[in-house]
Amino acid sequence: MPEPTAATATPDAPGIDVSASLGGDAWRRLRRRPDVIVSAVVVVFFAVMAAFPTLFTSTDPQRCVIGDSKTRPQGLGATHPLGTDVHGCDMLAQLVHGSRPSLLLAFVVVGASVLIGVLLGLLAGYYLGWVDTVVSRTVEVFLVVPLLLAALLLLSLFRNVHVGSGAFDVILLPALVLTLFGWMGYARYVRASTLEAKNLDYVTAARALGASDLRIMVRHVLPNAIGPVTALVPTAIAGVISAEAVLAFLGIGVRPPAISWGIMITNGAEWVTGGYPYLLLFPLGCLILTVLALVVLGDALRDALDPRLR
Amino acid sequence: MEIDISGAAEPGAVGDEVAQGDRPARTAGATLLEVEDLAVEFRSDDGALRAVDGLSYRVEAGRTLALVGESGCGKSVSSLAVMGLLPPTARVVRGTARYRGTDLLGLSPTKHRAHAGTHVAMVFQDALAALNPVHTVGYQLTEALRVRSGTSRREGRRRAIELLDLVKVPNAAQRVDEYPHQFSGGMRQRVMIASALALDPDVLIADEPTTALDVTVQAQVLRLLAEIQAERQMGLVLITHDLGVVAGVADEVTVMYAGRAVEHAPVHDLYARPAHPYTRALLRSVPRLDAVGDDRAVGGRLPVVPGRPPAPGRVPPGCPFHPRCDMARDVCATDVPPLDDVAPGRSSACFFAAELLGGVRA
Amino acid sequence: MGRYIFRRSLLGVATLLLVMFVLHLLTTFAIQLNGNPALAFFGERVPTAAQLAAVETRFGLDDPCYDQTGNPCLGPFAERLGAYAQGDFGTNLRGREVTDIVATAAPNTLKLFLVVTIVWFLLGMGLGTVAARWRGRSADHGIRLTSVLIDAFPIFVLLLVYRYVFAVPLNQWATETFGAESLPALWFRPSFDDDHPWATLLVPGILLGLAGSAAFIRLVRASQLESYTGDHVRTARSRGLTERHVVVHHVVRNSAVPVVTAVGLTFTEALAGAVITEGMMNIYGMGGVLWEAVRGTDVALVLGVVTILAAVTVAVMLVVDIAYAALDPRIRYA
Repeated sequence: MPEPTAATATPDAPGIDVSASLGGDAWRRLRRRPDVIVSAVVVVFFAVMAAFPTLFTSTDPQRCVIGDSKTRPQGLGATHPLGTDVHGCDMLAQLVHGSRPSLLLAFVVVGASVLIGVLLGLLAGYYLGWVDTVVSRTVEVFLVVPLLLAALLLLSLFRNVHVGSGAFDVILLPALVLTLFGWMGYARYVRASTLEAKNLDYVTAARALGASDLRIMVRHVLPNAIGPVTALVPTAIAGVISAEAVLAFLGIGVRPPAISWGIMITNGAEWVTGGYPYLLLFPLGCLILTVLALVVLGDALRDALDPRLR
Repeated sequence: MEIDISGAAEPGAVGDEVAQGDRPARTAGATLLEVEDLAVEFRSDDGALRAVDGLSYRVEAGRTLALVGESGCGKSVSSLAVMGLLPPTARVVRGTARYRGTDLLGLSPTKHRAHAGTHVAMVFQDALAALNPVHTVGYQLTEALRVRSGTSRREGRRRAIELLDLVKVPNAAQRVDEYPHQFSGGMRQRVMIASALALDPDVLIADEPTTALDVTVQAQVLRLLAEIQAERQMGLVLITHDLGVVAGVADEVTVMYAGRAVEHAPVHDLYARPAHPYTRALLRSVPRLDAVGDDRAVGGRLPVVPGRPPAPGRVPPGCPFHPRCDMARDVCATDVPPLDDVAPGRSSACFFAAELLGGVRA
Repeated sequence: MGRYIFRRSLLGVATLLLVMFVLHLLTTFAIQLNGNPALAFFGERVPTAAQLAAVETRFGLDDPCYDQTGNPCLGPFAERLGAYAQGDFGTNLRGREVTDIVATAAPNTLKLFLVVTIVWFLLGMGLGTVAARWRGRSADHGIRLTSVLIDAFPIFVLLLVYRYVFAVPLNQWATETFGAESLPALWFRPSFDDDHPWATLLVPGILLGLAGSAAFIRLVRASQLESYTGDHVRTARSRGLTERHVVVHHVVRNSAVPVVTAVGLTFTEALAGAVITEGMMNIYGMGGVLWEAVRGTDVALVLGVVTILAAVTVAVMLVVDIAYAALDPRIRYA
């Protein structure tokens, strides 16, 4: 039995406003946290570096003078502020230019995975029936093969395929493989929230009023499903960045002569005990800093979007 | 069917701090629980929010008190405070809740907990959520009995079946081993009631026990509750937003608004002549049980109380009800009307209660 | 319950078949794109025609379908399934049976997993329970900060730093202080030693467990928080049960359901982590074999091991499903 005053003069705010205000609420909460601001600055800094490397260094990373090899860091203003590597290439230039494949790969993989996951999850949750059966089965099949194992198998198979050396070309294969085995989580989340949102009263009402499936999905169901997915994104980007490092370590990630943080870490690791720890520590530091910032952002988003967990 | 709980504690069994057998018999009319000037606050980002503000009521053996009000008026929070079950964000800032003279709110959490179940027990609204999905009904019915009185597993099962019989669940011997999700809504609520009765409490607080149920099932569950209460001479506190539910069951009614009691009266007086505009508005908005046949109010729409109750922390100055009140005058916006006696056994927190009782309708 | 297990098992087998088919398709596609497939097996060397033909025959690559891009090669797939059914997972480049390699490598992986599981359980259940119990207090904040920090150091980074920065000096110190064959010296040995599997597995296992524990801590905390605020916990309290009894029988017991499910999902992650760990620490386990196979371009071995690991994953998920049903009657009677 409804409460006696349920039919009050002001009707309940429609659900779409509720979700919008939830987003606004989360945004206000995030802005107040200093750790979030610092993390965001770090991520933006490296993103700018990846997008416009020439802002940070004018040295060509591929111009290596073997005679200058393993020059120790010389400090700001010098020819090699962060020293040079084994082949005499400038560390700063390598770090700056190496950020591009690492970050580009991460953004491309996560972006594509989210797109595929959201689309399939939405369709499966909305139409159910055979669409859902196909999607759910596919999700299960791909979940059985761990991302890294699939990457190992496929990238070692494709090792000899030549794809070119443009910014996208060097990351093409890892991007394809990581996306192929990385979309399932989003599909599951979106499917679950679609199922939930589909039966909300205002969605039923919209359907009764003759709104098209597409309109209902985009206007009513999707806004509800975006929340949990958003919280996954920063952590996923961090995951791809470290996966790139692993693949580079095995020689099946981004291909030399292109530079990535992963490749720099791999090359630098051997020289730590030889007395040149900075060869490892600079790229590793960049990687950890970026990953840490992303993880903090992800954690904060999770909190903000699910206040019950605070 | 009567269950002899006092015999449950076997001699030498590990007993509670408050043993089962040491309390006096319930004589009709004896005061069991007396809540006085209770105030509860919630912590929030915007500072402390007063959810209950100066609530008082008394529960007597064999009598039923109804706490009535819209959701958010503090009726549930006040009973959680009495039970010692407030969430961590809430705390009692003032007042007492005396059970047979002992102030429960002044006890340590552990001692307070020992009173829960044995002396004051509670029936919750949504039995599906309020029963643990992973334990059998039989386990949950007698969990407290076994843990607190050391009753054996076999004896516990026997008692669980008795309890299910008591609340008229058919096939009790078989259903005792089933899980809550296997029961229908009405049957689940009966299980909920049975589990509250397991320790034979003096006072039973039922928080919206029938809200989640179909109308026909509601009536059955209410009747059951009333029967058991009369048979055992328990004190019953019935929390509800539905004045229609109250009519057949309660002896007295306390109407709450924005954390305060605004009217208290014997049930028939309240129905005949409400002494507070809020009560009057509530009564008008409820289809009368004695007029059920004619499909709500004849020849018109069911009137509603205009506006909505204030959120805690947004309670307007003066009488909290004045923005929604059709009798409001200037004084209502500035002064808080006290809960004063307006007739024998009745009190009202309205400056114009006398007018209402005198039959003057605005 | 019996019928439930049967149904789940059938589903598991179906999933596994699909997984094998997907792997087969991807492999086939890769081979078709790569041009002459057998050539890949020789790496940098240039084989003679006879060598090439021998390799093609050995790996069943002589089927003409491998030369037609887009052909799903169903024939070889059926053959391979038949071979799998007889326990034949192929051979590595040197002609050693994959099953034989896996059989000798698996015990070390199991040992590693045991260490990982113990670390998970101790950290996850321990810290998660503490954080939930004292929510909002300093213990909770500390634990949440810890879990974020753990997340920021993926297993690869942890191992890299450990192996290249810490292991050598630590090992040196332990050798000088306690002797070369002492336990501490073995703990910090930067690579696996078959004579002392437990001692040399310990640190990598702890690191792997640590890296995976963040998600676990969060999950245990979240599910227990949900239980704490759950109506049924309030009911249990209202019956006068002590807080300890309520926590054990209603909070922890109920939160076991999502936690068990998560074990299944994190298993695949742990498997990937095991590959990295075993590879980087030279542990002779299934992951180590796989790692070396990737480095040595031994595609047949990679395929065999991945297939076996997929089968193991399906089995683990089946067990998790059954445990889930055993823990939650709502699933059991659905």
